[in-house]
Amino acid sequence: MDLRPSVVLGNYPLLIDGVIMTLWAAAVALSIGVVFGAAGCAVRLSARPAFDRAVRGYVLFFRTTPEMVLIFWGYFCIPFLFKLKVSGFWTGSVVLGLVAAAYLTEIFRAGVQAVPRGQVEAAHALGVPAYPRWRFVILPQALRLMVPPLVNYFTELLKNTTLLSSIGVAELALQAYLLGGRTYRYLEFLSVIALVYFAIIFPLSMASRRLEQRAGSH
Amino acid sequence: MDWSLLSAFDFAIVWRYLPALLKGLWTNVLLTGLGFVAGGIVLGTLLAVANFSRYRVVRWPVIAFVEFWRSTPLLVQAIWMHFAFPVVSGLQTTPFQSALLALVFNVSAYCSEIIRAGILGVPGGQIEAARALGLAPAVIWYKVVLPQAVKIIVPPLIGTVISIFKATAILSVLAINDLLRAASRLSSYTFKPLEMYTTAALLAFVCGLLLTIAGNRLEHRLRRGEG
Repeated sequence: MDLRPSVVLGNYPLLIDGVIMTLWAAAVALSIGVVFGAAGCAVRLSARPAFDRAVRGYVLFFRTTPEMVLIFWGYFCIPFLFKLKVSGFWTGSVVLGLVAAAYLTEIFRAGVQAVPRGQVEAAHALGVPAYPRWRFVILPQALRLMVPPLVNYFTELLKNTTLLSSIGVAELALQAYLLGGRTYRYLEFLSVIALVYFAIIFPLSMASRRLEQRAGSH
Repeated sequence: MDWSLLSAFDFAIVWRYLPALLKGLWTNVLLTGLGFVAGGIVLGTLLAVANFSRYRVVRWPVIAFVEFWRSTPLLVQAIWMHFAFPVVSGLQTTPFQSALLALVFNVSAYCSEIIRAGILGVPGGQIEAARALGLAPAVIWYKVVLPQAVKIIVPPLIGTVISIFKATAILSVLAINDLLRAASRLSSYTFKPLEMYTTAALLAFVCGLLLTIAGNRLEHRLRRGEG
């Protein structure tokens, strides 16, 4: 076995492009996830049975169906159904965003519901109106509780961006796979990108774990 | 949206190729089962127990292994196993074997953390008492620690089954005959992507739902058995 790191160094611009594409996809998916997740959480907390059931159905569907299957469905069926030309990047990122929305709905809801009831009741008893009640009582406490699972979910999202490679999005995994095929140096390229993913994801999951411990110690 | 396409949805062709899709789904279920038993239960337990070793030479590589497999994407792990690992080991594995290996290692890393947390959940006094009674370390593990840890471990471990099932769909990047590959092959063969991918998505959802329901039932029953 001979390792040739020079092959990787010689092609680093393509790998950097891949990293940028990966981060873009994660950013798009996260934005969609946060917006729709917040909306889903609001519906679930508002106690309107019909809407609540719809959101629960949405969450169940998107948390149970494999992301890979959803991405393929979107990539091959959306252009066909809607007579639209959508790039793999946008299809894949939006699908990952819709999946993220399902998980974030539950993360947000758990965070809000973990705020001690007495806090909300006290605000009610003092006659604090809805806006300051949320702005100064519920959200500051809820957001602190949400951060660890949110960071943890973001690491899952980063890992899921690799699925876009299967529909031809030139993110990091696909770049490395193609370069490996072109140079017959799979070992070097695939090992390097594994290290790149590790270097991004491991610190995040460590931070999430530490924050969780700190939140638990209160 | 082109509604005429929906009314033109060809159920006959779905019915004709349903067995092929189900056969693909069976590969996913098989991988889920193998991944859960070999990775989650067997290797996961070994890694978790090794994590409590007195010796750093044992502990550190195990921690590195677990953290590395948890912090990299399964898709990269799978293609690494298939294209890079043979260069290291000199052994060429089939796509199914590579996919299974990657899945087993990935699942073992996740599950070893669950099992480790369960072991840590056993009250320290239990172990101290066993030691005070002069039980051998192996006996303490098998008769005192693990039986109590199992109660804490089983519910979250059941929860991983649905994650494993979802992960198996990723393994279709290697040429294994799973649901997704069956769907893509059939859609290019029949020129009916909408029918094939929609059926595949629904089959995957229903299968995932059944696994979730079965898991909840089992968990419920175990909890009732305790009380």
